[in-house]
Amino acid sequence: MTQAAFFVLTALADQPRHGYGILREVEELSDGAVQLRVGTLYGVLDRLTADELIVLDREEVQQGRLRRYYRLTEEGTEALAAEAERMAAGAGAAKRRIAEGRRASEGNRPAGTVPPTAPGLAGGLA
Amino acid sequence: MTTLLEARYRAVLRLLPPYYRRAREDEMVETYLWDLDRDTQDQSRPTWGEVAGVVALAVRSRVGAPGAPHPYALLGSAARHFALFAVLLQAAAALVDRVLALTWSSTRGAAEWRLFVSGFTGHGPSSGAVEVAQWTLPLLWTVAYFALLRDRRRPARVASCLAALPTLWPLLGPLVSDSLPPEPAFATASALLAWLSVLALSVAHHRDAPPASLPAGTPGLVLLACCVVMGASVVLLPDGVDSAWAPVTCFLVGALAWLMWPARRASGPEAGHAGGALALAALGLLLLALRVCAVYPWRDAGLPAVFLGGAVGQAAVLTLLTATLCVLGGRELTRRDT
Repeated sequence: MTQAAFFVLTALADQPRHGYGILREVEELSDGAVQLRVGTLYGVLDRLTADELIVLDREEVQQGRLRRYYRLTEEGTEALAAEAERMAAGAGAAKRRIAEGRRASEGNRPAGTVPPTAPGLAGGLA
Repeated sequence: MTTLLEARYRAVLRLLPPYYRRAREDEMVETYLWDLDRDTQDQSRPTWGEVAGVVALAVRSRVGAPGAPHPYALLGSAARHFALFAVLLQAAAALVDRVLALTWSSTRGAAEWRLFVSGFTGHGPSSGAVEVAQWTLPLLWTVAYFALLRDRRRPARVASCLAALPTLWPLLGPLVSDSLPPEPAFATASALLAWLSVLALSVAHHRDAPPASLPAGTPGLVLLACCVVMGASVVLLPDGVDSAWAPVTCFLVGALAWLMWPARRASGPEAGHAGGALALAALGLLLLALRVCAVYPWRDAGLPAVFLGGAVGQAAVLTLLTATLCVLGGRELTRRDT
């Protein structure tokens, strides 16, 4: 699953949303890291609709303009949950490895030494 | 009332195919204009990023986006098949050419080997580097072929771009160095074949496209079969070959096999290998151009009869086969959904 598809599914996880609502929600969920263009969004919506992960929830006409709301299907919820599980497992494994690496480097350091916190006389950190 | 900005967005959205505009235009305009103040809309324009997004969507929706109607789905499938067949053909041609050159040079004594090596070392370091790149980079067609069939699309794109680079050197080399200008028509036909393959691979095998697959056989076996056909065509007629001979022979064998393939006739328009005839027709036309450009400039040079006869025979069969494929592809394209 692409990052864009993951965030679009996440944006629709709690309630149906229309195109602009999805764009804003994706930006907020990713802390501004993912800013989908409208063309990209509709490419993702086409793919997710074809895969039956989302469906059209309802259409509204506001001030003469068409607004379509999309919602997750059962399959979409399951796919999102599976992807979230996979990402959480990956993140957990990374955190464990980082912690093990830190413990190992602390164990190898001679007793009484402390990591350098300021440049030495020559300007380096050694 | 329609604002100027809305009219501008609608103008950009005309890049999309009609079926897509009918389904999405109003909705997309609403998304673009959602939080914009109506009073300031006449001073705004779509950004370049927004236009680029629509261009990408327009390309994708024309080459078989999910849910595309028959002609677009067929064109998308044809473009993907064209990319796969063209990459396969160029991968096999590069492999066979180099294996035969190495075999020939290493089995004909020290003088022949020195001649081979001097091609890389005899004209200075910069010329040598160009020669090494010219010799090695086309081998990346093989990397692109396997990457494509393993659904590794980005590596396939990168490998095909690098593999196609040497086809530009005959056109650009004379401008930046003292290398001799090539026969322009042949150099252009070679570059066209290589770069159209790269374009088709990059555009048609987009992220949402179905994975590439061969009509029959495994990737390794099909590449090996192509290499055997090409190698045999050169070994059996050593005095009658030029650089177009082996790839054209392989194409003729492959296209004839495809025409006689029972599963093709049994499959409907929405089958996984729909668009194969269009893809082969396009490839056949490019190879016909290559075939003609390879021999036409030398027609008055007193070439051996076996060479001229082979080239003319190949061109005739290729024309017939490509015309048949064009007819079949046209029928497939105009066929209505049933």
